[in-house]
Amino acid sequence: MEKSIHRKKIATRLMVFLAIAIFTKKASAQQSPPIINSTLIGSVKDSITKQPIGNVVLAIKGTTHAVTSAADGSFSFRTGQKFPYTLIISFIGYQTKEIVVDGSPITILLAEKASSLNDVVVMGYGSQKKSDVTGSVGSVSKNLLAQPAASFDNMLQGGVSGIGVTQNSGQPGGTATVRIRGGNSISFGNAPLYVIDGFIVYNNNDNANVGSIGTSSNALSTINPSDIESVEVLKDASATAIYGSRGANGVIIITTKKGKKGVNNVNYNAYYGTQTVARKLNLLNGAQWATLINDVNTSDGVPKTYNDAQVAAFGSGSDWQGSALSNAPIFNQELSVSGGDEKSRYLISGNYFNQDGVISNSGYKRYSARINYEKDISEKFKVTANFFGSRSIEHKLPGSAYNSINFSNAYASLILTSPIAAIINADGSYNTSNPLNATPTNPLQDIVTTINQNTLNRILGNTAAEYKILKDLTLKVTAGVDILNTNQQYYAPSFTASPAGGSTGYATKGYAALGSGNALSWLNENTLTYNHTFGDKHFLTTLVGYSTQYENGKSFTTSAQQFPNDLTTFDNLSYAGIANLPNSSARSSSLNSVLARINYSYLHRYNITLSERADGSSKLGKENKWGFFSSVGVSWNVNDEDFFKPLQNIVNSLKIRLSAGQTGNSEIPPYSSLSSLSPTNYYLGGKLVTGISPIQIANPDLKWETTTQYNAGLDLGFVNNRITIAFDAYYKKTTDLLLNVPLPLYTGYASALKNIGSVSNRGIEFSVNSENIKTPAFNWKSTLIFSANRNKVLSLGENVKSFFPVAPTGQVSPVIVQVGLPVGTFWGYDTNGLLKTADLTNGTPLLGGVPQQAGDTKYVDSNQDGIITTADKHNLGSAQPKFTGSLNNTFNYKGIDLSIFFQGSYGNRVFNLLQQSLERPTLTQNASATLLDRWTPQHQDATVARATNSPVPQVTDRLIEDASYLKLKNVSLGYTFKTEWANKIKLKNLRFYVSVQNLFTVTKYTSLDPEVNFYDNDNTKQGIDFGTYPATRTFLAGLSITL
Amino acid sequence: MKKTITHSIIWLLTILIFTTTACKKLEENPSSVIVSSQFFKTQSDAISSVNAVYSSLNSDPNGDFPLYGRQLNLLVENASDNQIFSPSNTNPDVRALGVSTYIPSNSRIQKVWQQLYFGINKANIAIDNVPNVSTDTVLKNRLVREAKFIRGLLYFNLVRLYGDVPLVLHEPKSVNIEDLLVKRSATAAVYQQIIADLTDATSLPKNYGTADLGRATSGAAHSLLAKVYVTQKLWPKALTELNIIINGGYGYALFPNYKDVFQKATKNGIEHIFSVQFESNLGAKNVVQNLSQSFTSFNTGTFPIDVPANKSVYELFSPIDTRRETTFYDSVYNAATGKYVVFKNAYTPYFNKFVDYTLSPLNTQAQSGVNYPVIRYADILLLYAEVINNINGPNAEAYNAINKVRARAKIADLTPGLSADAFRDSVFLERRKEFIQEGHRWFDLVRQGGNIYVDALKKIPEKSAVSSKNILFPIPQTERELNTLLTQNPGYN
Repeated sequence: MEKSIHRKKIATRLMVFLAIAIFTKKASAQQSPPIINSTLIGSVKDSITKQPIGNVVLAIKGTTHAVTSAADGSFSFRTGQKFPYTLIISFIGYQTKEIVVDGSPITILLAEKASSLNDVVVMGYGSQKKSDVTGSVGSVSKNLLAQPAASFDNMLQGGVSGIGVTQNSGQPGGTATVRIRGGNSISFGNAPLYVIDGFIVYNNNDNANVGSIGTSSNALSTINPSDIESVEVLKDASATAIYGSRGANGVIIITTKKGKKGVNNVNYNAYYGTQTVARKLNLLNGAQWATLINDVNTSDGVPKTYNDAQVAAFGSGSDWQGSALSNAPIFNQELSVSGGDEKSRYLISGNYFNQDGVISNSGYKRYSARINYEKDISEKFKVTANFFGSRSIEHKLPGSAYNSINFSNAYASLILTSPIAAIINADGSYNTSNPLNATPTNPLQDIVTTINQNTLNRILGNTAAEYKILKDLTLKVTAGVDILNTNQQYYAPSFTASPAGGSTGYATKGYAALGSGNALSWLNENTLTYNHTFGDKHFLTTLVGYSTQYENGKSFTTSAQQFPNDLTTFDNLSYAGIANLPNSSARSSSLNSVLARINYSYLHRYNITLSERADGSSKLGKENKWGFFSSVGVSWNVNDEDFFKPLQNIVNSLKIRLSAGQTGNSEIPPYSSLSSLSPTNYYLGGKLVTGISPIQIANPDLKWETTTQYNAGLDLGFVNNRITIAFDAYYKKTTDLLLNVPLPLYTGYASALKNIGSVSNRGIEFSVNSENIKTPAFNWKSTLIFSANRNKVLSLGENVKSFFPVAPTGQVSPVIVQVGLPVGTFWGYDTNGLLKTADLTNGTPLLGGVPQQAGDTKYVDSNQDGIITTADKHNLGSAQPKFTGSLNNTFNYKGIDLSIFFQGSYGNRVFNLLQQSLERPTLTQNASATLLDRWTPQHQDATVARATNSPVPQVTDRLIEDASYLKLKNVSLGYTFKTEWANKIKLKNLRFYVSVQNLFTVTKYTSLDPEVNFYDNDNTKQGIDFGTYPATRTFLAGLSITL
Repeated sequence: MKKTITHSIIWLLTILIFTTTACKKLEENPSSVIVSSQFFKTQSDAISSVNAVYSSLNSDPNGDFPLYGRQLNLLVENASDNQIFSPSNTNPDVRALGVSTYIPSNSRIQKVWQQLYFGINKANIAIDNVPNVSTDTVLKNRLVREAKFIRGLLYFNLVRLYGDVPLVLHEPKSVNIEDLLVKRSATAAVYQQIIADLTDATSLPKNYGTADLGRATSGAAHSLLAKVYVTQKLWPKALTELNIIINGGYGYALFPNYKDVFQKATKNGIEHIFSVQFESNLGAKNVVQNLSQSFTSFNTGTFPIDVPANKSVYELFSPIDTRRETTFYDSVYNAATGKYVVFKNAYTPYFNKFVDYTLSPLNTQAQSGVNYPVIRYADILLLYAEVINNINGPNAEAYNAINKVRARAKIADLTPGLSADAFRDSVFLERRKEFIQEGHRWFDLVRQGGNIYVDALKKIPEKSAVSSKNILFPIPQTERELNTLLTQNPGYN
């Protein structure tokens, strides 16, 4: 019953679309035949290669009459205009040319160029003339795409306004958090949708991480960034609603390089570089640490551990932090062959990338290959195939478990090791007899000997067939598959404290774990596009389609421990004394969609886009599988109006865009709406038995999380469009949040997944492109990008004003989700220096239940009840920046090119959890050098509290640091040899370059890197730093050859 | 010709794709997850559902400390005069429990509440659904009674810790909060339900075969019922139950050696009436015996997270009391070096009962296989002495019962001729010494009423913030925010 209603709804909406299409056709059929006054024939060629170019649009200025060139570049123009007239010639990727024509035939040479308002923009399910675009779409410049990077998400940073990218850690091959216009959801799915050559990928790093230990692996890093030709970012509803249920977080469209007709190129690119650690922490040295221990002893009322002579003898002690660090090489090479003839285009490429980590025993390696092929079987029938396969091997940093979280804090363990312990014994072996360690292990040895390896294999193939049923009507059928396979291998030797399933390698006498996961996704899309121009005035493109995507994944992990020796590691579990319970899982989901879109333009001046998509997702409750998402966008090229003519000297182009629409999100795990049961264990008769009990209550009403977005935009061009500005303002409101809503615990459940609450994001963003100097010899271009987003929780459902995300066992959550504040706001105490002796008697509020003395931290009684309790904790800012921006300058002088790219973030805060550990004196761990300025009876004017034994760590304003930063992300200097010189050595092109990444960072943040997410993509716990893999500075040199 | 072929190809392709893939079904039929409609069909489903009830005692679904195995002890030992936190314990909420400064938002108080109710929910599900499974009625009845025993045990903990509590007896069927709001039920009503469940559970078998050792027995039900009556000061009823346990042919007795109560080799032995089960290295998920973390390292610079309140706890014991060396340790043999490591600092001696000395290396104590004794025969004997004293005064029977416990500890009989009050105090002192770390002390102090609890804690300087409100724990803050019908206990806000 429900289903038939949905079908009816879809059918009605489609009929409306068709009716509009038919109506517009009828309206235009009343035109009278044009009078022919001139006939022009000619051909269009590339100005350098002299190869013919097809599909070039040639239009007569002042009219809307246009023709396109054939595949051999030829065209003929029969028009009512008399010679001479001005012809405007435009084509994707080429500079638009205006020439005055006074006779036939002619040859037109087009020059390649970077960008222009008349470019064609890649949209979902097609492309569009930029002048007709109604939505907010940004492209990442070629310049940024040329940066050396392991994964393309690294290159998006600062590339487009409105997109925020944070490198979660410096681990080679590690993940980045990507957010377009802020996070809409609290619990699920804030990452954008990726469309790679038409294939839709929701990047689920879970597929790349099966029981993985350490930072999670990045599924996007499987793709070779150099294969990418262009990246478009769709931001507003007009652009994304065609992706319906999946468009809420924005869409990133990736188009890979294709071969070009008539040119056969062999390209070889390579670079080699070295990486160094960008920053190290200031820690106590041996003598300073021993003095700290003595101070702790004094506060405990016990004799000092070390006498003065012993303290002095420790001297600088061991540099544990530096012991695992070294400069590490990075190397990349790739070879591609591309070209085409009259009927077909091809590109074949291969890539090898190898990045060693600056920390021992870590690194990332990738082999990949790609084949893109396109063939015109006939004038009406075209087939394309894009395939790539890659294999990447990541060696990750393990680390002792931080409570129940196994993130990459092996580096933190190293930092926290006391400097008085020797690293290496006199005979060169590792020192494992540190009396301060719980086990006879050595943290450097742990890093060097623990194997933590993740192999990812991916094949993504997409084929398409396009058939012109009529001149204006094209059927396109695509079928693609994405297969991701991961193999994880882990071994914690018996002499290490590396994590071993909640224990350590030492305790388990050797622990091996194996995991394997297979994820498959296939997609079939069938679209029908009707593209017609009526009377040279009405430009109509309609699209209807149907698509199905199916995903499934299976994985298993198994582990064993108690190995007689450490020789066979994970390669032969049968040597183990104890087998742990293995795990396996399987899941599948499908999404059926019906989509439709109308793009209509009158004179390329007044444009409207209507889109509609219906999605049925298997993951949602049985009552609400289907969702409907519509959008409308309009734009007006004001500069084409007569009244604007007087202003055109100042403003060349002015376009106003407005859009509104809805998109959805259903990125919850499959089976979330069902009442599922899970196994537990108990022991009876000394044997393991399985218990089965429910873990969630069924919610058959579970439905789409919906984001409604309004966008207003302005595109401006000045000085012959040498300066262009795109400005957008938006408001997004996400309702029916897919939220794990807390239930009263007496129900037997902590939470239930419901559609409750709402979040808003509002912001402005702009980009300015300027060709500052444009002479034949010297060229200087600048791109400035600015984005500001404000995120706010509007509601969390009835009776819920706030909740604390789950913190590690035994820890207090440093973040809160509270109505009125941004998601993941830091929550803690304000402090006001240290307590003075007088404060203890003059009624200064003190921390409840804990005896406080002079020299302890003085907390601020924010609710003024005379005592410091958890009720005094309050908003200490959030990890979300007030604004982010970037500035890219490129200079070309003759063959020399220079590019300087700055990127920054302002107003974001980071909870320095590592510093919290480092400022907390214990009798065993090393501490921060800030403790040198600790309170002592002799030094009362201090910044850090007196040394006591393991005080309770509190979340205070002191640790929520300003992590605003400005980074010189990339500087590159290149030289391209003159074509004649290159030709002399039988080359078409030859370029050398050197570049530096992360040359410097300006920040007040005191720890390793202000760009940090210890909790990876967890939306509620952004900006927490517990000693992630350190950031690096990279120097490299490369060359690029075209044969 | 060529055109026709291409035509045919494309149409065939289109038809092929449309017919094979169009309209992938949206219904979910998971292969990896059991959904409730598939469950409670077979005998083995029924057994598994009750196993899950037991597992709520020794494991936490989120990998937190288990209820028995640390969480409950954080309330009833840390908030008693037996135990406090060490410097290694950094959780402010745990520290607050140690110094009586806890507030309604204390995460540990909430966690205990959660674990108790999660277990109750699993029991409710089993009690409501097991009877519908088509299998042997005798087995079904037994399984339902086992679930009722656990439900009774968990409600008994709840009512003593929190006072009036929501009395939930069926699983929730909806995620709508309006359908889930309930008021606190009066303590008397909760006790009525506990007594009904436990009375039904007294029909459980007296014994099980080897494979089922660890399940609740009728002896366990009678024992718990006796404790319920003692707590309510219903002495004659308590006496009836105690007589059944002692004289009903159950064969319970004290181990000759106190140490054997806490040994892996002697688990589920003659003295154990009901124990929460732990095992070493059986690969279970989320089962960790955290009380065994009293030993973590041979490194003398680190501390166990929970330590005795102060030296007075150790000094309760006379040197000849064999319970002293089982309850505490101050040196441990290090097999790797062949030497004893001596621990001597402000927090020593450390607790010892749950340290599993059969493990190698010794600091893998999370794997401790030492059971947690919920009720053991020494408890019954001491309750018997207390009940007789309350009914008849300190007669020979009462003396006989307490002296059995003392004799096993190799200490002299209790001074004869004590007054009833003095005898009662002696029984409570004996209980304290007998059950350190076994989750009795807070209950024993509070059930005596008056200022006993507050006075006892005031003797420990760190716990001086204690006040009369602390005879109940606060209703967790978030519960009251989600359900405004819930009132708070006196003195908390």
